[in-house]
Amino acid sequence: MRTIVYLFRFFRVVSPLPALVVWTFGAIVAGACAIVVVAPGRTAGALAPLLVLQMFAASSGFAVPGRRGHYDLLLTRTGGRVSMALAHWVSSIAPGVAGWLIVCSVEALTTGTSSIATASGTCAAVALVSTIPWAATIALPRFSGGIGWLLMLTISAITLSSGNDGSLPRAGGSDGFVAGASAFLVYPLAVVGRHLSSLELMVVSPALALAIVSMTAACGWVRRATFPLEAAQ
Amino acid sequence: MISLAVSVRDLSVHYGRRCVFERVTFDVGVGQSLGVIGPNGSGKTTLLRAVAGCLAPRSGDIRINGLTPRDAYERTGVAYFAGDATLPGSVRAARWGSLANGDAVTSDTRPIRALSRGTRQLLGLRTALGRQPLGLIVLDEPWEGLDPDAARWLSTILESKRDRGAGVVLSSHRLHDLAGLCDMYLFLLPRHAALIRAHEIAQGALVTAELLAETFDRLRNGGSPLRAAS
Repeated sequence: MRTIVYLFRFFRVVSPLPALVVWTFGAIVAGACAIVVVAPGRTAGALAPLLVLQMFAASSGFAVPGRRGHYDLLLTRTGGRVSMALAHWVSSIAPGVAGWLIVCSVEALTTGTSSIATASGTCAAVALVSTIPWAATIALPRFSGGIGWLLMLTISAITLSSGNDGSLPRAGGSDGFVAGASAFLVYPLAVVGRHLSSLELMVVSPALALAIVSMTAACGWVRRATFPLEAAQ
Repeated sequence: MISLAVSVRDLSVHYGRRCVFERVTFDVGVGQSLGVIGPNGSGKTTLLRAVAGCLAPRSGDIRINGLTPRDAYERTGVAYFAGDATLPGSVRAARWGSLANGDAVTSDTRPIRALSRGTRQLLGLRTALGRQPLGLIVLDEPWEGLDPDAARWLSTILESKRDRGAGVVLSSHRLHDLAGLCDMYLFLLPRHAALIRAHEIAQGALVTAELLAETFDRLRNGGSPLRAAS
């Protein structure tokens, strides 16, 4: 228990996020809350910037500060590398998740129910943007996962806009299971605010399974990883 | 029989295809200290990082109190500090200092990057050495940037921790600081390492910086080491 407390204390001091990202979360949450109060029907739109920023916040990167020696104090204190990785992940996503919960609370206070901010689609999108970018960036420089996702989104949008209707396929739509699952993976914001049907839940489940697999792989990587000092190589 | 704080056997480390050092072997007993001496690029930092368990060697074995480094962390306190450049610059000094054992190491609230080099070095050392209890201390160039008072403080605290049973592994280019402190010396040279005990260097007298420099020059020029480590 003392080790877990120390892990979170360490990442509170040596935050995986720059202060600017935390301040930006504050501004976005304030804006989202204002939109929810003024126009509760636009809650899904208000959550979109929060989720995009969360994707960048989760892309915090573990290996680079590790190779700079920033985590030496932690690496030589506990051998539990998986708990170290999970504490890093929680510390990376905490501001975004806290912001989402604040929006949920404001929506509940304003409308008497929190139907959009806590819809199953929103929960799935939050889960996806909080996991895969962290796992993808574990050995890469900060924000790599977010940048890669934006690149993938742009390429998908360009490719799909050359089709008939010029719009992204929607999860559970007529493009079929694979297209729907791919669309959710590339553009999870499409399902924000939606209460997913059983069929749509099946469509989003491969991406969520991928999130679990990637998190497991990332934790395994941290467990095996070695951190030579950049300056000594 | 002396119990070992750290035992290194046939340690080899490579960065990709580049061999940093090969088959280095040494033991540091409880209450003993080892000084690592070598030219720039000889692998001192890499060796110390491997001993601290932050870096996996290509081959060889490292034991801290008979355990692998990761198993040893929870049972044996390990203090490791690789220099002020490894401190995160954006973190406030007082907050970094609080990571030692909860007590304030400094009340300075400036970001670490705003501190002078010596102050950063002292902050890192105090935080690393603040752990209780300490079974092994591994410090890379610990005297770098320190003023004479701080350098004396460091030497005194290292002697004190060693006398209370901690194993100490240090690397430094400042031979006069190492000379009075270590029980044995590991000379790391390109593709060659030699472990020599203090009494073998000084023939029973005190080891001086000049004697260490002479021994280093002799080994570098191909002289046979008194006690081969590789």
